Amino acid sequence: MRLDSSTVATLLATELKLLLRDRRTVVVSIVLPLLVMPILLFAGRTLEERRARRLETTRFTYTVTGSQAERARQLLEAAASSAGAPTLLLEERDAPDPEQALADKSLDLWVQALTCEELPPPAAPARTAGEGEGREEERPVPGVPVIQLVFRGDRDRSGEAATRVGEALRRVREVERATLLAEAGLPLPAGEVVQVEERDVASAAQVTGLKLGRLLTVFFLLFVLSGGAVVATDTLAGEKERGTLETLLTTSAGRREIIVAKLLAILAVAVAITLIQALNFLAYVVLRLIPLPADFALELSPGVAAAVLAMLLPVAALVSCLLLLTSGRAHSYKEAQLYFFPVFLLTLLPALAAFLPGLALRSPIALVPVAGVAVGVKEILTAAPDTPMLLLTWLVNAAAALGLALAAERTLSAERLIAPAAASELGLKGDELFQRHALRAFALLWALLLVISVNFEGKLDVRTQTAINLLGVFLGGTLVLVHRYRLDPRRALALRPVGWPVWLAVAVGAPAGLITGMGVFQLASRVVPVPPEVVESFSRGLLSAELPLWQALIFLAILPAVCEELAFRGLLLYGLHRRLRPLALVLLVGLVFGVFHVSLFRIAPTAYLGMLLTAVTLLTGSVYPAMAWHGINNALVLVAAHGEAPLDEVPPLLHAAAAVALATAGYILWRVRTPYAGLRRRQ
Amino acid sequence: MNAVEVRGLTKVFHDEARGEIRAVDGVDFHCRPGEIFGLLGANGAGKTTTLRMLATILTPTAGEATVMGHDLLRQPEAVRRCLGFYSASTALYPRLTARETLAFFARINGLDSQLVKARVEELVARFGLADYADARVEKLSQGMKQKVSIARTVAHDPPVLVFDEPTVGLDVLNALEMQRTIAEFRAEGKAIIFSTHIMSEAERLCDRIAVIHRGRILACDNLAGLRQLTGQHYLEDIFVALVGG
Repeated sequence: MRLDSSTVATLLATELKLLLRDRRTVVVSIVLPLLVMPILLFAGRTLEERRARRLETTRFTYTVTGSQAERARQLLEAAASSAGAPTLLLEERDAPDPEQALADKSLDLWVQALTCEELPPPAAPARTAGEGEGREEERPVPGVPVIQLVFRGDRDRSGEAATRVGEALRRVREVERATLLAEAGLPLPAGEVVQVEERDVASAAQVTGLKLGRLLTVFFLLFVLSGGAVVATDTLAGEKERGTLETLLTTSAGRREIIVAKLLAILAVAVAITLIQALNFLAYVVLRLIPLPADFALELSPGVAAAVLAMLLPVAALVSCLLLLTSGRAHSYKEAQLYFFPVFLLTLLPALAAFLPGLALRSPIALVPVAGVAVGVKEILTAAPDTPMLLLTWLVNAAAALGLALAAERTLSAERLIAPAAASELGLKGDELFQRHALRAFALLWALLLVISVNFEGKLDVRTQTAINLLGVFLGGTLVLVHRYRLDPRRALALRPVGWPVWLAVAVGAPAGLITGMGVFQLASRVVPVPPEVVESFSRGLLSAELPLWQALIFLAILPAVCEELAFRGLLLYGLHRRLRPLALVLLVGLVFGVFHVSLFRIAPTAYLGMLLTAVTLLTGSVYPAMAWHGINNALVLVAAHGEAPLDEVPPLLHAAAAVALATAGYILWRVRTPYAGLRRRQ
Repeated sequence: MNAVEVRGLTKVFHDEARGEIRAVDGVDFHCRPGEIFGLLGANGAGKTTTLRMLATILTPTAGEATVMGHDLLRQPEAVRRCLGFYSASTALYPRLTARETLAFFARINGLDSQLVKARVEELVARFGLADYADARVEKLSQGMKQKVSIARTVAHDPPVLVFDEPTVGLDVLNALEMQRTIAEFRAEGKAIIFSTHIMSEAERLCDRIAVIHRGRILACDNLAGLRQLTGQHYLEDIFVALVGG
């Protein structure tokens, strides 16, 4: 279809005019970032300077106790008067009850000087004042006095006193140690016994390029998202809500022209905001609001800058299209705003690929939208561009952007979205209402699972953790939803008996599914490499000594098979079965199942298993075969792990045999199929 | 020649919870230039869906229609160029002025850019918008917004006008003003399709009336013909007799 450029120009000019007249957009997208950043930077710098000045003039109060008090006083005196060190003003005070004095703020620091023998046995490990990264823990040595700096971590001044006195004491100790060594006949300072030198053969520009290259795509995306989100929300969801979209659709402008104009408007604002922020950043550097690191040596030739820009442009287009699509899918402004958090995550997470060590563009990552560009930009900035792969990833991103733009265009034809009145929930019965709310309900369950996982993982034993997740979240959540929407449990959970050939297919298919699933895992780990320690930690969980095999089978095979299948192939599938066609159901239910397994590296294999189980349920119309399949799958993994059989080293021939077995199982299920009731028909 | 021809137009919605809904079921009608054709039906009868299909916002499931000889499915843009669509739910851009609104809709509907300015001034004069033509739409009163909205419907001077329940939410004076304006458009020779659930409005304005119920047209004729068909005098009684309420 031909694109009428004059219509696009008219629409675009009007879009931009409307945006610039919208004070909210201008303030939130342009004015606020422009004002907030310099104010924050300036305030931060002023506060830091004030703090440094205050530290120079602060006189910290302390008291000294213990059998080694005199020795401690000598050291403190030396610390306060050591040449070349930052000024440290100290004032000793008498304090009969030092702990109380610390509490009532009459004292900043309590210095306890003891012998090694007097030291009380250690309780819980306490933070040492001035504790820094990489410093070795100090152990008491007989005959050497121990100086404990006791402070109140809930008071800034007390904490600062401990940090600064601790650092000063360590400097004094260095000097004394050198003196002692010299007296004992070793004239070298301790630090010079062995000289270690590092020599970086990369140029300073390349090192800077690596640092900047990791961050550049992430920052670029943040600007595009922050600028584009407001515009995108307003431009489609906002128009729907105001009723102007219907007016626009009755004009002779084509839907493609409308989408292109809106896309260009989002892109224009996103790119403009990125440029404004870039200029803003340069202004901060010139005004010295942002001190650059001493080794910052960026060499940005016009060619490199153009290459980086060329790589980022399809990403900007892709993000704009995604924002537009999200806005187009929403019925209202509020709904569009709800979708933007997942869009932010979905877009920013792949950009973190640039931080993965050793990941080069000459790998499957080039085919992953956004992630490929992030890695490509890093390679350009480190002067190691791989031109054919850059071209490939550019094409992948451009194609993804085009696909999303076409999907956004289709949202203007989606009648449910154009005519929201048709989507009214008034008068819907429980199961009709649940079918509208199914994904929302499972999003809540996912959030609940995430909260539990973040707060309790590693703190509870496998049995408790599994019981909470499976019985509490999955089974409990399923039963609550069945009750809340007054669903018929038999229909909603697909509780229906099946014939014996189905069980035969399950017996053949489940092991075959597991082996082909390992192949999927291996393929996925080429795109997102899995650190070996993550796999090892997962295996440790399966092989826990506290969990004998029979218990592992109950908690990690039978319970998941029952509870997860009731939730996913039962309730979720029931909620979606009239909305989507079978293939889409298989993909979506499988994907949701994968996402529920939280760990990034497990998503692909579990999504694959979820897809197989959904297909089995759709073919049999029953959840029981999926339960059996799931149980066999997990049991085989556990038995293999206990028998130390390396599942990840399956020979290719076995993969091929498994594929044949899986196809056979599929054929049996197809031949004896008793399809899921009420599936959506092709129109 | 008929300006609008509709044959067997059908629309089936797939509701994710309720399954298939036949909102419009094999509707046939036509409308000639200089005629007001009324679609009379209760809420949810299928009036808006029929008109949205005619305006190409929705795609028919079956059937066909032409507007000024242009096919609905094959030439949707040409159809929209010949058509002005007004409904209570078609809003205006609040941050454009009345004059900018008219210029935008004239241009977007394919009016020659050299003619746009003159057309805008003509509409401003005709609808009495001169005093607030440069005020943003968001600042206008309901009555003023209604005038701007009608003016934008005819900004490109289309031969066919569709009014979907145009008096919903209007006070009596504004509703009468709307009826007068629609009658003027008929006098100018435009083909007008007018949907309403208000019997008096249909009785006063429409040359022919189609009674639509549950997506089907139950009867289509002028008032005299409908009286003869049902043996009732008032349109309200005719309607009740037809829908069997």
